[in-house]
Amino acid sequence: MSAECRSILADGSLLTVTATRRPRAGRADVKCQAPGDARLLERMQEVVRLARHTETRFDSRDQVVISIDRVPGALERDWELAVVLADRLARGLWQGPHGPVVANGWSDAWHLGRIEGHAVRDAPVGTLLGGADGLAHLGQLSGHPDRAASVSSARAWFPLHAGGAADSLCWVEVGVHPLAHDPADEEQTITVPGQDAARQLAVRQALAGAREFDGRGAGRWRTTVRFGDTGFQGRSFELALVLADRMARGREFLPRARLIATGQSQAWHAGRVDTVEGLEAKCALLLREAAPGDRILLPQAWQAALPEGFAEGLRALGASVACVERIGMI
Amino acid sequence: MLGLFKRATPVADACELGRTAVALPLYSGCGMPPGCPVVVVDARGCTRRPAPAKRIELREGELAFAFHPGPYTVDLQPFAQAPEIGLRTSFAIDCADPNAAHHRFDLYLASEVAGRLGLDALAGAVEAALQRELREGGLALPPCATIEEWNAFRLGLNQLLYMRFGLTVDDCVPVDLGASRDYAAMLAARVQACPTQAAAAPARVCAFDAAEPTLVDARALRRLFLELPGVMCGLRLAALPSSPEQFRQQQALLQRLDLLCVGASTMPALGLAAPGQPLHIDEQLRRARHSRRATASLDEAWALLARLKGANPELLAPLYDDCDRIVANLETDCEGRRCARVEEAA
Repeated sequence: MSAECRSILADGSLLTVTATRRPRAGRADVKCQAPGDARLLERMQEVVRLARHTETRFDSRDQVVISIDRVPGALERDWELAVVLADRLARGLWQGPHGPVVANGWSDAWHLGRIEGHAVRDAPVGTLLGGADGLAHLGQLSGHPDRAASVSSARAWFPLHAGGAADSLCWVEVGVHPLAHDPADEEQTITVPGQDAARQLAVRQALAGAREFDGRGAGRWRTTVRFGDTGFQGRSFELALVLADRMARGREFLPRARLIATGQSQAWHAGRVDTVEGLEAKCALLLREAAPGDRILLPQAWQAALPEGFAEGLRALGASVACVERIGMI
Repeated sequence: MLGLFKRATPVADACELGRTAVALPLYSGCGMPPGCPVVVVDARGCTRRPAPAKRIELREGELAFAFHPGPYTVDLQPFAQAPEIGLRTSFAIDCADPNAAHHRFDLYLASEVAGRLGLDALAGAVEAALQRELREGGLALPPCATIEEWNAFRLGLNQLLYMRFGLTVDDCVPVDLGASRDYAAMLAARVQACPTQAAAAPARVCAFDAAEPTLVDARALRRLFLELPGVMCGLRLAALPSSPEQFRQQQALLQRLDLLCVGASTMPALGLAAPGQPLHIDEQLRRARHSRRATASLDEAWALLARLKGANPELLAPLYDDCDRIVANLETDCEGRRCARVEEAA
């Protein structure tokens, strides 16, 4: 099994990291290959081993061979994230997006899974960039909050229906900071940078309503909401938003990998989930995109109309699906 | 004085039993606390439950514990990143049949407990096992769990706690812990503790190297020595093969485990490279790291046995593969613990 991951070098050229898994047969757990650069090789080995400290599952039967096709400059470290991701892709611990993965990021705390920054400027859209404004830690690949950071942020994904081929999953991220004192108005503590006024209002109302339903959510947090994409219509992101908020506030069970949800509501203060449009297209997209460990939540009204074999198909992929009438437990 | 008429000494802190302490060590000549079964661990690590008597007499090298069967109620936190949601779990220690040959809880006392077993220590161990199993996917507790998913989780949890600790779960309900654990305050405390962006590192990695390697290693080897036969026995009973192919797999796994047992009981001393030749401290730390990792594999093995127990015959194949992985990890770590220094192979 083999995987590739790319990274942009300082001079603008692309570097390719290839990771291959093979039986260990008494060899080292990680073997790195770099064309004639012992220092780079040592650092690659170190980065991979440190990043593996954040994994629970240890398998001594495999060796992963990681090779890099060109030598970055002596001071460049932006390739580190690509090496870590290639190692995970090769062992199937992370299912990347379809198509090539381009990732840039460096860190001094790989053993904690943190990514501290990236050096590349004006990278093309779709590049995974490390650091506080992009991918801040490895758990974020599946939307989980960092268990040791002082800001808690969680991501959830929702399907975007754009007429067939352009359908995709989009993420919404909710970051919460503790507030020193009780605010006068819950909606004023929620900011949605980079979105128009109507979307901001919809986000604020949904979150304020859902926190009222929750009981312990209001008056404790300053909230920032970010979206992976801005050009979409409709309100089917609301369920994903509300659940990401609950995960970020530490009040929801966590899926093993990503949480993918579609649904809206007229009554978040009652925790109710209403139906949304686009059942067939979204179900087809979910079957294409689901990865092992993903949790998929759909409105209850879809239950009867789900396509034949949908739940079984997802289960075969290792994902689980539930149609929910209201948020919260059972 | 023959000591015939000596009074039995009362057990220190006996009134804690059943409240904050689950098990307390007993010494020779102590009285048995009423209503609390006693477990005696002999010098080879075998356990027995003596019949109730006025006071307890121990032979050379024996340890004794008195434990309270419970029930106990604790709040477990299933996900480290979600402190405000918990599982209120009440469990009891199985002691219905005093003549049964092996109790898992007795093995737990013999191999992992040194001295007093507090309720918080037991709850911590249970919570760690639960969190690991949820991260690995052996148990699933997803957001907005349906009633069927919850029931499946409960079954898995019952199996896990019985296999790993010998505890019987009476009741388990999700609870809102927001009243006692304030996540906002916890995050604010992290900001205070470490005002620059990155916060406190999880203490696990650092705490180990500072601790005494000899002690960590000795405990780990004791666990390997005592629990590997139990794992083998469990594998024989729990994983009934459904095809000749699986039967061969099981036989091969048992054989490898048997070799591991022999290996664990003939492990060289931590501090010696060869007889009379001391080993460098870095190599000692490496050896201790290996033995500690082997105990992590043991934890995984117990959790896997719990999954094997209720498994569908069609779903056995991935579990056998996981078993193969765990045994391979154990072999790697035992080999690492055995050799005095490693050369990096390419």
